[in-house]
Amino acid sequence: MSAALRAAWRVGAAAARGRAGRALSQAASESGGAEGGGGSGSREAVERLVRAHPVVVFMKGSPEQPLCGFSNAVVQILRLHGVEDYRAHDVLQDPDLRQGIKNYSNWPTIPQVYLNGEFVGGCDILLQMHQNGDLVEELKKLGIRSALLDAEKDQDKK
Amino acid sequence: RSFSSQTDGEARVTRVLREKFPRASAIKVVDISGGCGAMYEIHIESEEFREKRTVQQHQMVNQALSEEIKTMHGLRIFTSTPK
Repeated sequence: MSAALRAAWRVGAAAARGRAGRALSQAASESGGAEGGGGSGSREAVERLVRAHPVVVFMKGSPEQPLCGFSNAVVQILRLHGVEDYRAHDVLQDPDLRQGIKNYSNWPTIPQVYLNGEFVGGCDILLQMHQNGDLVEELKKLGIRSALLDAEKDQDKK
Repeated sequence: RSFSSQTDGEARVTRVLREKFPRASAIKVVDISGGCGAMYEIHIESEEFREKRTVQQHQMVNQALSEEIKTMHGLRIFTSTPK
């Protein structure tokens, strides 16, 4: 991880620790109350959100002000690749969506990254994809040219 | 940090992983919430992950720890296959 990313991580993680957390118990809950009926956490509503844009992120806080170190890491990684145009949903603003997205992906944690409507993973997976070059390839498939490719070209020129 | 100072939570999570991943060649569980049991970092290397996408590998760990996860605030997962 770059020094800048590590620093941003520490700030976000410290802020998150300071807040009263909630357990992931509802990740496995069957009666979350967020299913069906067309509420913001329903399968249909979540499906619409994940398909609305090639890059969709469910996070805590916003890209301008992430409220969790892991959500911040996702924002920073996307920024490194020059991806600034994406849909970000703050699950802290919508408890139904917060539960609904976990039910939809059958994944207990936030942030969650969707590329072309498909669940890719959380912050650890995105970080791994960033480090091993997979993220550049996945973005290319979406017609997005990673800024890191241009950065490399500049280095070659030197 | 020596293994003899493992927390109860780390020991429990490790035990569950050993049961659910009998072919695991390496398992390491670290409480990264200062011993509060709120957040864990899990490293697991197993032949059972071979040929599976990372997100699928992580899902296997999520399913294995579905009970333990209920009481956690977060977890970090790092999976790998033996070389």
